[in-house]
Amino acid sequence: MVDKKRKTRDDSKNSKHKTLTFKRSKGDRGKSTQKKRGGPRLPNALRKELDRVNPKNQFNSGEEDEDISSDEGNDFYEYEEGVPEEESKKNRRYDPVDNYEYELPDQFQDENVQSDDDSEYNADENNNGGLDFKRRGADHVGSDREEDDEEGHVRMLQDITGLPREAIEGKKNRRDVVVSEPYPESEYNPTRDVLDGNGRITLEDLLEGLEGKPGYSQLRKRTHQMQRKFKPLQAPLPKEVQDRLERKAAYEKSKKDITKWEPLVKRNREAPTIIFDKDIDLGFSTIGAIASEFEPRTEFEKQMASLVYDKKVMDAYKEDGARLLELNKISVEDYRDRQNHIAKMRSLLFRHEMKMKRVKNIKSKTYHRLLKKDKKKAAFREVQMDPEAAKELAMKQEYKRAEERLTLRHKNSSRWAKRILERGLNVQDEGTRAALAEQLHQHSLLTRKMNSMKDNSSSDESTDEEDDEDLAGSDEAAASKLLTKAKEKTVKVLEEDDEQPSSGVLSLPFMVRGLKKRKEAAAEEAKIYLEEYESSLKQLEDTSGVDKPKPGAISGRRVFGVPRKQTVEPSRVKLDNSSENSGSDSELDANKNIHDGLYNTNNSQDIKVKSVSLDDNAVSPRDSELKSLQNLDDIVAESGPKTTYDVAIFVSDTWKKQMGTQNDEDRSIDKSPKVTEQVTQNQDLEELGEGSGSDSEGEMVDGMLSASPNSSYKLPSQAELIREAFAGDDVEEEFTKDKEEILNEENPEPEKLISVPGWGEWTHVQKKKGLPSWMVKEHESAKRKREAALKRRKDAHLKNVIISEKLDKKAEKLLTKTLPYPFTSKEVFEQSTRMPMGPEFNPATAVGALIRPEVVKKTGVIIKPIKFEDVDPYEKSQDRKNNEPKKKHKTNRSRVRTKPVVAKS
Amino acid sequence: MGVEQENGESEKILPPIEQELADELDAKVKKYLRGEGANLEVLKDKKLRGQLSVREELYGISAKAAAKTEKWLMPSEGGYLETEGLEKTWRIKQEAIGREVDISSSRKQYDIVLPDLGPYTLDFTPSGRYVAVAGRKGHLAVVDMKDMKLIREIQVRETTRDIAFLHNELFFAAAQKKYTYIYNRDGVELHCLKEHGAVSRLQFLRNHFLLASINKYGQLHYQDITTGQMVANFRTGFGRTDVMQVNPFNGVIALGHSGGTVSMWKPTTAAPLVKMLCHPGPITAMAFHPNGHLMATSGKERKIKIWDVRKFEVIQTISGHAKTLDFSQKGLLAAASGSFVQILGDFSGSQTYSRYINHSMVKGYQIGKVLFRPYEDVLGIGHSMGWSSILIPGSGEPNFDTWLANPFETPKQRQEKEIRSLLDKLPPETIMLDPSRIGTVRPPKSREKPTKQEVEAKIEGAIDAAKNVEFKKKTKGRNKPSKRVKKRKEVIEKAKRPFFDQQMEDNPTKKKQKISQVNELPTSLQRFARKKATA
Repeated sequence: MVDKKRKTRDDSKNSKHKTLTFKRSKGDRGKSTQKKRGGPRLPNALRKELDRVNPKNQFNSGEEDEDISSDEGNDFYEYEEGVPEEESKKNRRYDPVDNYEYELPDQFQDENVQSDDDSEYNADENNNGGLDFKRRGADHVGSDREEDDEEGHVRMLQDITGLPREAIEGKKNRRDVVVSEPYPESEYNPTRDVLDGNGRITLEDLLEGLEGKPGYSQLRKRTHQMQRKFKPLQAPLPKEVQDRLERKAAYEKSKKDITKWEPLVKRNREAPTIIFDKDIDLGFSTIGAIASEFEPRTEFEKQMASLVYDKKVMDAYKEDGARLLELNKISVEDYRDRQNHIAKMRSLLFRHEMKMKRVKNIKSKTYHRLLKKDKKKAAFREVQMDPEAAKELAMKQEYKRAEERLTLRHKNSSRWAKRILERGLNVQDEGTRAALAEQLHQHSLLTRKMNSMKDNSSSDESTDEEDDEDLAGSDEAAASKLLTKAKEKTVKVLEEDDEQPSSGVLSLPFMVRGLKKRKEAAAEEAKIYLEEYESSLKQLEDTSGVDKPKPGAISGRRVFGVPRKQTVEPSRVKLDNSSENSGSDSELDANKNIHDGLYNTNNSQDIKVKSVSLDDNAVSPRDSELKSLQNLDDIVAESGPKTTYDVAIFVSDTWKKQMGTQNDEDRSIDKSPKVTEQVTQNQDLEELGEGSGSDSEGEMVDGMLSASPNSSYKLPSQAELIREAFAGDDVEEEFTKDKEEILNEENPEPEKLISVPGWGEWTHVQKKKGLPSWMVKEHESAKRKREAALKRRKDAHLKNVIISEKLDKKAEKLLTKTLPYPFTSKEVFEQSTRMPMGPEFNPATAVGALIRPEVVKKTGVIIKPIKFEDVDPYEKSQDRKNNEPKKKHKTNRSRVRTKPVVAKS
Repeated sequence: MGVEQENGESEKILPPIEQELADELDAKVKKYLRGEGANLEVLKDKKLRGQLSVREELYGISAKAAAKTEKWLMPSEGGYLETEGLEKTWRIKQEAIGREVDISSSRKQYDIVLPDLGPYTLDFTPSGRYVAVAGRKGHLAVVDMKDMKLIREIQVRETTRDIAFLHNELFFAAAQKKYTYIYNRDGVELHCLKEHGAVSRLQFLRNHFLLASINKYGQLHYQDITTGQMVANFRTGFGRTDVMQVNPFNGVIALGHSGGTVSMWKPTTAAPLVKMLCHPGPITAMAFHPNGHLMATSGKERKIKIWDVRKFEVIQTISGHAKTLDFSQKGLLAAASGSFVQILGDFSGSQTYSRYINHSMVKGYQIGKVLFRPYEDVLGIGHSMGWSSILIPGSGEPNFDTWLANPFETPKQRQEKEIRSLLDKLPPETIMLDPSRIGTVRPPKSREKPTKQEVEAKIEGAIDAAKNVEFKKKTKGRNKPSKRVKKRKEVIEKAKRPFFDQQMEDNPTKKKQKISQVNELPTSLQRFARKKATA
């Protein structure tokens, strides 16, 4: 036996290392196992009993049983602790300490660690030799223990069955013994070894079979290389990030792609004129032309065409038309048949009408009820049968839901409901209360989220309706499905319960302890249930046949984690139901409180009750399971309105509160803007004041005084002659005087400095100082300003010229106020407008090009989207150098082309 | 590629004749380009630069085409007198010229002697085909110069001081003793323009359809002859004058005054655009070069001055007396006084005028008006004994533009042209010293006054704001409704005040002026105060 064991150890690649870290690892493991409570712990005696009752469980059962059996193995292992100790020390390379303390956890299962093991081992080996042996050792613990487990297990089996060790130990001698799997091998049905956790098929394992074959060494080399390079895979990026990266990459690509259009677009943009499809002859699209192009496509059209273009008819038509009449002939029988047919149809129609009238007049309630029911059924059937109809219905419901959520019509928002709520619900009679409740129910129904509506949304939680549907199809597959579901749900609930209250009474230590105890008990119960489920499932599978692979039957931790929920959930519902049944509506609030408080206690009780019932029905577990589930579903369906009821009341209360707060807010809002407004007004006033102040630096504008009249009107006589003779005497002087006058008018001279009595003097003392300095300064600055203004005049340097600086308002409108848009410099704009455009100023050859519009297009021509064509990006620059004849040639060529074309000239 | 070769060739030395031709063409192209294009390299806006460069290219093509077709469209070149050796052009008599020229041209030398109806004045149509003559004593006539046919001759029997064709030969205006009249070609009086008063000089602005006149009171009138509307009526304030000339380039009217000043006017401003002291004595005559850059004035102090109107500077001063001056289309300047006509020409190209042709009439003839006939080498002379015409070689534009003026116009063409010119009529505000400024950017104003509406809106806003002011709640006695209303009114007044203050400040000068005027004289003597010529 010892030899055997040694052999197995040698076989397994992973050599055993016992290190100091065992302790720690044990602690860790302990923690983890503490969290994941395994199945219920049965006393050993009971377990043995169980084993005796169904020993085949261990062999034939699938994956789950293996766990349990391994668990059992643990128990045995304790007795044989001493044996592997010696073996472990065979090399004496490491400190022989820990094995004494080592104690297997009550439940072991950790595949992930195991799976990491190989790879990490190899990687580590390459990277940092023996430095982290410790860690490695820790990693290997799992496998070690597993082996020990198995050893124990085998021994136990040997004891029980009395078979030779080889028969039982098929697993170890994998090479020698071929074990037929009950399932076809696939990724859904992994081999037992894989499921056991230990015998992960490594690459080495696979390669072993090939040893000695040609190409083996090469293959091994490659695998080694691969393993060397191996790195743990990164977790996939979040979807958003992935998408973003993809978009980025796509953007870069399309950006690069789009640059090829640049020269083409540039050419079109730079072209003064674009000519579209110049040579296309539109022609006339007459009705006849359009009709001639018609081709029959649909069945009906083809039939019609075959009739219309019948050879006989066509021939007749072509000849003289006389034969057309002949062709038109109908035999008497035909005509009679047709008449009869029409008469029949009419009578049928009439009868139907009469029937409908009668039906319409039926007043019987039962009839209508039945009719309604029938209709509903029909509709339901239709929905089930026809995915289109289902979709439509779903859409309708979605719409209704949205509407309800928007309007909240059934949420006691009507005046009537408000009034009733105001007066208090307790005062009302049954009828009103029922009506209110009904309304709320309506609301809840309408606003319930529908998962089944969307086609693609794969909801994790299967809804009740689906369950119902599943139930409807009552074959064994459905049953097994149900069972697995139930199992899953129980598991889920088990997991969910883990959340512990962090505050309140329940967070007190003794309460926590109590809760824990209860929970553990519940968990054990659940475990039993799970086992029950599994057993029944197995039975089902045995009976139904092995062919069908069950996706739901995947074992392992993952499955174990997911399907816990069910058992507790129905129980909770049951609890609600019972309380609701017992209490009246007024008790509901209390019920809610109770619900929170007593939940945990009730929970276990209910489950117990249920389990008992299940035990009773153990003979035919399937039926009972089905029944109970059905009941549960019914209960769930019924509980809808009641549960939402108190919630609705709560909501209404909050609504009221919200209204109050809103009003407050409104008031506050009303206040605040007023204040701000005042402020703004003040600001406005200030601004106005400033504006007026700045405006008030008035400008002295008025009519210009013309030159002093030096001519009094006289007859052109002797006197005039004399005046003319002496006219030149003081002409210049007069002119300068005139000019001065005008200048003064436009830029008035500052007032003369006069010492105003009392200003700037206190006594006679200051009189000596003369005028105050600020006055002088101001005067001087005004003078300077005036001089500068005079200097700026056009006639500043022309002694004998006065040029009026006045603006002509009428002429102002001939000038542009601002630069037109694309221009930024005045000079460029003014230069650009220097050339006249008209035919009077330009030769006829140039006028056309000068005034050609940007787009030349015939009416009716469809402008097609731009098509890619190769354009030389440097074409343009050459063009500019080109002189006239070549350009003309170009225009001609471009005009010939039919595509959207850039015409240049 | 061929282009570059061509370019390369142009850089290489061409045969002299071709080089000359190329130069000529370049000069012509430059003329038709109407100035330099903007420097597009500076532009940052690529799109605009592209557009403008395309435009410039088109302009270049257009100019080149125009330059190339010029020799076909303008085949004849103007002639001039050329002398040999010591001969001087001004020594050559009209008889000698007449002997040399062809018969049709020699027919244009004539004297029409009408001794009775006093000194004559004359006006040509823009095409130069028709002439209107007016004798001082009321003799009006329209003559077709092509075949020397008298179209109509009327006797208005009162003093006629001036005559002017309107837009075509069908209508002419005559400044008579009291009023101005408009006649048609048949001598039918169409309008009596009473508002103009006793007009001493008439001018017609062809592009604007304005009839401008200066009357004996020194008032300048602009009348739109298409609508009959009096566009402007200014008192010049410089006294009586009979020197008036339109600048054909921009439509500005220049008046010569007895004070030696020349004032330039446009119909939209009451004050003269420019006032310049040209001569120390009274101005006797004035003329504008057709390109609008040159102005010639003559004063009583026996000086003729040529001015650059763009810079308002004297270019040349020529001694000599001129009672009348006129520029020909080609830029010859005719000056006449007494019975002597002198033609000055600018042959050096440096705008220095020198003697070109002298012509003296019969002794005793007093020349009243000289006028070059458009598109002909002919000078019309109105004098006291009728009118004459002499040949001045190189005075007229040899090639006429039928768009502009067609001496061989058919009635149909005339009608069409009339419609066209009416459609192209320019509004009076387009008359300005530099018409090329039209369409350019307005120079920024120092401060823009807010419009009346804006001001009103502001006031209203302020009042509204004042109305909405919330008052504090006062103590019992001071919170009466009446008091509140009163306070509200006060606030509104306060809000309005700054605006009114500002309005007062905006036009205080008028008041001040009035006060100052009032201060000058006591009220009883104010009626004798001389009225200042203000607008």
